[in-house]
Amino acid sequence: MFQRSVLRIVSCIFILASGCSKLDEQFQGDLTRAQVGVAKNNATILLQGLYYTLEGVFTSHLTVFPLEELCTDEAIAPTRGQDWDDNGVWRVLHQQKWISNNDKISECFKALNGLVYSSTDLLNYNATAEEQAEARFIRAWAMYLVLDLFDQVPYRDPGESLIQEARVRKGLDALNYIISELNAILSDLPSGPEYKANKYAAKFLLMKCYLNKAVYENRSNPVFLPTDMNKVIGFADDIIKSNKYTFSANYFDNFAPENGSKGKENIFTLQNIPGTTPNNNLYLAWLIPLHYNQGPAVNGWTTLSDFYNKFEVGDKRRGMVYTSPGSPPNPAGGVNVGFLVGQQYDYFNGTPLTDGTGAPLIFTPEVKNLEVNNNLQVTGIRPIKYFPDWNNYYSPDNDFVFYRLSDVLLMKAEAILRGGTGTAAGSYGDNPTSIVNAIRTDTSRSASLLPTVSLEDVYNERGRELWWEGWRRQDMIRFKKFLLPFQEKNYVSDPKYLVYPIPDEQIGVNRKFLVQNPGY
Amino acid sequence: MPFSLILLLIQETIPKRCFGLLSVFIFIICPPETMLSQRLIQGKITDSKGDAVTYASVFIRSANNLSLTDLKGSFAIQANPGDTLSVTFLGFYDYNKVLDSSLYVTITLQELNLNLNELVVLGYGVVKKKDLTGAVAQVNAKDFNQGIMTNPMQQIQGKVSGLQISNDNGQPGGAMTIKLRGNSALSGTGQPLFVLDGVPLDGRSLQAGNNPLNFINPDDITSIDVLKDASATAIYGTRAAYGVIIINTKKGQIGQPQINLSVSTGVTSILKRIDVLNPSQYRAALQYYDVNRAFDKGGNTDAMGALLQHGLQKNYTLGISGGNENGKYRISGNVLNQDGIIKNTNFEKYGISFTGNYKFLESKKLTLDIQMNSSQYKQDSPWPEVGAAGIIYGALKWNPTDSLINADGSFKRIDGILNPATVTEKVKNNLKVTTVLGSISPSYKITDWLEYKLLLSINYSTGIARSSVNQDIIQPGNPPGNATIKNYELQTSLITHTLHIDKEIFPHLRLDAVAGYEFTQFENKGFSLSGNGVTGTGFGNFGLDYTNYVQYSSLTGRSISSFADATSELRSFFGRSIFNFNEKYLLTATFRADGSSKFGANNKYGYFPSFAAAWNISNEKFFKVHFINSFKLRAGWGKTGNQEFPAGSAQAKYSFFDGGIIKQVNNPNPDLKWQSDRQYNIGLDFSFLNNRFSATIDYFNKATTHLLFPSPPIQPAPGEAVQRWINLDGQIRNTGLEAMIHGSIIQGKNFGFDLSMNATFLKNNVSGLPAPVFTGFVTGPIQIIQNGYPMNTFFTRKFLGFDKDGFSIHADDGATFYPVGNPNPKTLLGISPSMHYNKLSLTANLYGAFGQDIYFTPLMFALNIGAINVGSNIGTSIYNNPVKESLANPAQSPSSRFIFKGNYMKMSSLTLNYTLGSTNPIFKTANIYLTGQNLFVLTKYPGFSPETNFDANINGIPSLGIDAPHYPASRTLIAGLNVSF
Repeated sequence: MFQRSVLRIVSCIFILASGCSKLDEQFQGDLTRAQVGVAKNNATILLQGLYYTLEGVFTSHLTVFPLEELCTDEAIAPTRGQDWDDNGVWRVLHQQKWISNNDKISECFKALNGLVYSSTDLLNYNATAEEQAEARFIRAWAMYLVLDLFDQVPYRDPGESLIQEARVRKGLDALNYIISELNAILSDLPSGPEYKANKYAAKFLLMKCYLNKAVYENRSNPVFLPTDMNKVIGFADDIIKSNKYTFSANYFDNFAPENGSKGKENIFTLQNIPGTTPNNNLYLAWLIPLHYNQGPAVNGWTTLSDFYNKFEVGDKRRGMVYTSPGSPPNPAGGVNVGFLVGQQYDYFNGTPLTDGTGAPLIFTPEVKNLEVNNNLQVTGIRPIKYFPDWNNYYSPDNDFVFYRLSDVLLMKAEAILRGGTGTAAGSYGDNPTSIVNAIRTDTSRSASLLPTVSLEDVYNERGRELWWEGWRRQDMIRFKKFLLPFQEKNYVSDPKYLVYPIPDEQIGVNRKFLVQNPGY
Repeated sequence: MPFSLILLLIQETIPKRCFGLLSVFIFIICPPETMLSQRLIQGKITDSKGDAVTYASVFIRSANNLSLTDLKGSFAIQANPGDTLSVTFLGFYDYNKVLDSSLYVTITLQELNLNLNELVVLGYGVVKKKDLTGAVAQVNAKDFNQGIMTNPMQQIQGKVSGLQISNDNGQPGGAMTIKLRGNSALSGTGQPLFVLDGVPLDGRSLQAGNNPLNFINPDDITSIDVLKDASATAIYGTRAAYGVIIINTKKGQIGQPQINLSVSTGVTSILKRIDVLNPSQYRAALQYYDVNRAFDKGGNTDAMGALLQHGLQKNYTLGISGGNENGKYRISGNVLNQDGIIKNTNFEKYGISFTGNYKFLESKKLTLDIQMNSSQYKQDSPWPEVGAAGIIYGALKWNPTDSLINADGSFKRIDGILNPATVTEKVKNNLKVTTVLGSISPSYKITDWLEYKLLLSINYSTGIARSSVNQDIIQPGNPPGNATIKNYELQTSLITHTLHIDKEIFPHLRLDAVAGYEFTQFENKGFSLSGNGVTGTGFGNFGLDYTNYVQYSSLTGRSISSFADATSELRSFFGRSIFNFNEKYLLTATFRADGSSKFGANNKYGYFPSFAAAWNISNEKFFKVHFINSFKLRAGWGKTGNQEFPAGSAQAKYSFFDGGIIKQVNNPNPDLKWQSDRQYNIGLDFSFLNNRFSATIDYFNKATTHLLFPSPPIQPAPGEAVQRWINLDGQIRNTGLEAMIHGSIIQGKNFGFDLSMNATFLKNNVSGLPAPVFTGFVTGPIQIIQNGYPMNTFFTRKFLGFDKDGFSIHADDGATFYPVGNPNPKTLLGISPSMHYNKLSLTANLYGAFGQDIYFTPLMFALNIGAINVGSNIGTSIYNNPVKESLANPAQSPSSRFIFKGNYMKMSSLTLNYTLGSTNPIFKTANIYLTGQNLFVLTKYPGFSPETNFDANINGIPSLGIDAPHYPASRTLIAGLNVSF
């Protein structure tokens, strides 16, 4: 009797049980791969996301920039007492003493590979040929930076499982893959605008690939081949002959809030629209170097006096008084763009500023990796490349600049000096001297004419022209200057520092394909 | 053989509990022979309250006569004058009386002190304490901590061995860190599963920093059962890895309607301050460090004092209960209003709960339990709570010679520091949470020994958080004012079927078994909208709450977002059998199969078995130690699981972002499976000296494997995804010894003294991890989870002192990090002495933790030497340092310098109570009391309180023992009255 009741109840239980779901997870506010696939314009949406991810990686200057610049002779992140100590993570960059579990190195590796992943993943979806080419360009650019900084470039096929260890291309293999990708997409890329992946950006990146190819083959002792140099020159001429790029009226127009229209030299940028563009952290470009009392700022990184002294007094690229619609009146007429040194004035009322201790805010040329004196708030010359957008301080209008015309010209000049054959293109002449002087003597720069231009001159001119644009480490390595002593690093570094270590945690999760770089 | 002899034989051999039932059974089938020569003695047996004791065995040993009491406690038995009448009944002292010539006797049985008959709520059923095989502790209302409480966990703080309940900070209604048997969470909260009247709770907070149990009225709680070992918790399977805490509310009682009123009110103030320089010390320090003398602004300000207040607290609970054989009910209402010790902070709660237990049909076989709990609370917190923008930070750093108010009456603004006077008025951060928990549970007794039960329940809570920052206090360059509104919804729906069997399946072998099926669904969604003031005009000075007109904000300074977690479902099959042989040998076996939607297709189900056995040695014949009343040995083993990781981790997930953007945000792992916790437990329960002393000792050994761990993604991986959930190789082992002792030391007529103590000794070790794991974000990770070290070991530079220039010296020049401290307590201690003299009683509850280190970030961030160089205050310890620290010393990086011993002993409550008794014709009982809550804490720790835990997780890996400049702890003095009519 009760056996039957038991049976009945047990069967009821199972009926109720089977009536429930099969424990399949249903997203409510997110999408599965399949749901993304059915969305209209899914690839367009993902591509826009990719550009915004680029924003996040580059505009703050905190992710890739420290690895490209703080380890060089033009940038330093001094420890100012309680500020910027951060367990010495910044100091080791300038001293070239980093180890494999440096936070900054991990962050950079992760961010660049995130771009590699997203641009690869997009290829799973219904992208047009042009969209695919854009994604592949962004992937090539991210891979190129991984190659340049870490020498080992992990990659995945579209759709590959993320719990599977990623395969890795190294050195020249990685470079050849990047070159083949760039060549493959050239015909599908649009020719503009500059804030999208475009033909000329791809050609610019090809120039970087060929110019540095010898470095990726042998970082300590690169041997440059004329064939590679002629490739550089060929792509430079393609870009010049497009007639899309000319010198801006003012050197700093290229970086100003209105650089979308005034920046005539820019080949590849990230477009920032105030209040609209997500992940736009470009305000950190001025927030980091400025002193607290110059506006919301964090009193951080500076340049070094040796580098500052490479400029002539009249060189506009060293600093000037700049105005932009809506910027403060600057009645004291203090230098507000370029390199800020000496007494600083309130941009609104012109009064001389003081620092937090009550002392005058006088930026000193001297700066130490670890400040030990009481003037620790004021040391160092502050570089301001992007003129602050005072109207939209935290969501500025300034587009972030990746590639510029003057770099094309300087690369061309260098390639000729490294054995390439000079060609005439545009109005810049066919030899290094005329090309470099074209830049220097343009009214936007107003520097003196150099009688001749040697490789050393190209190196120095690259410093003056492209300061804080992310190329200095690469240039110093290519010109074999990187390991030599420079200000606040008074020794020759171990050659292992020519590449960064693979972050420990990545070695830990991908022992199958990643090996630590030699010496770490 | 005469029947009575059989009975006596049975009595010697079978468990006492069964005896009553058995004898009834036998009585019915074969009525006893009568001894004609004897007289019929009648009588009645009651307990000390006068209630009838039914089915008690009454016998005349010399004549082998036996009888049982009926439902009214009456009995009749043949006896002669001079015979000894004996009465036995479980849970009472044996009673013996030499009969005189009277034909009617009244007998009052004395209850055993040790409430072995007390029911303990195990998952999906109850069991008598004496039948327990696992490590389970029960705390009853009479032993709860006293005071004005916001959630039930405060009532058992320090009461249960192995259970560490520590306040994260002093915020009324704030979060707590609850860890049972040590620290083994590599992800998630690591807190136990909470079960309220049979309904497992979600356990998540609606908003970080508030307590998930705030919705429960502590005055409604009758007991709290803590299931500690895996043999007890395995029935809860996947959610039981960190133990289970079962909260039981008061139910109606049969009898006249009864009204209980509790009223209490108190005043709260700060328990302990952080030492900073006072104005005169500050002036001296300006000279000493030779910094800008203009920083002496000439005033004398107590900035922390400007923030603080004496808060008024009020708590009222009214309970009405009653019932008859057909049904029982209880309704209660509660109003709680707690002002915090920081101005404009408050916790206010209104709650109504109803419970009904009804019986239907003539046979009373159908019962229905209804439970309804609804509450709303409002929590006004300071904003933002911690960090450089926080008010505590501002109050600590404020130049003590500078006034808070300008000459014109406006608030003074200083770059980088919030003026503590402004923020209490100009910053709002209010959370309002409404919770409804309803359950309905019919059950039907199919046969005497078989019962079916259904439980349907819904637990829904919604929270609205409104915060605003007034434009008057905004630093230049920042948007003028901000208003943010957030909404949260959390819902758990549950259906449980259980079949319960209670039967003697073979002679002397009783089976108490439950089998069931459960389906649970979790939902979590919310939205947020926020706007910044328009440049120039801001939100205006209309005196209104900005969140009431957020559309007035700048078009470009707005953000909106919403989310809904993936549906999360658990489908479970479970069962438990308790075999009881002869009241001597107990065997418990449980099993649960849990299927979860969170896991990958390859691992949907997890299986969780447990076994435990107990031996009541004192019931053995050979056990002849007279002063020992009970002696029980227990041993158990079990496996439990953990699924605390975000839903949507097993399959690729793309999320929506501002401006029509979709991005992949995770590293899907279709192989994800349960984290497994295996635990064995050996325990001993004994009581002695007429049960005046009782003790429980447990040893446990818990190994956590297949650690659910947010691992670094394997690059290239989605940039938005900071983690890849995997089951990590490696093991976390927690071992410990727990002891609880209770003693009625003095049992006088007028005076009594009781003492309860509990102690826990814990050890924690990590092994087998493929790579160290970092967490505890203080400018970078400061804690490591690494083989051979306890969980969350502090891992920083090792501070060795100062050089002659006043710069910090670190081991290996700071290039190497060392394990420099352990945030896990080694010993937990709870002491509860209580004494009474006539109607006056004094009860104290103390608890403490020993052996743990705490990272004191306020000294590093707020009060370091650099602060005085820019005109802010510094810590007194820095000024008193015999070495003059250099102003340029980079002292803001983590090092062992900021690690302090966290040992403490806290007087959590001290209550003086006077019972008025029932002399008054209106009141049945009444008592008045005075309570000091958190009267003092004995510690050398320099922070507000050694009970502190700031959430500094990295990628969801919890931190432990990191202090931040957060809401200070408080001390409260309370006067209260309880009356029942």
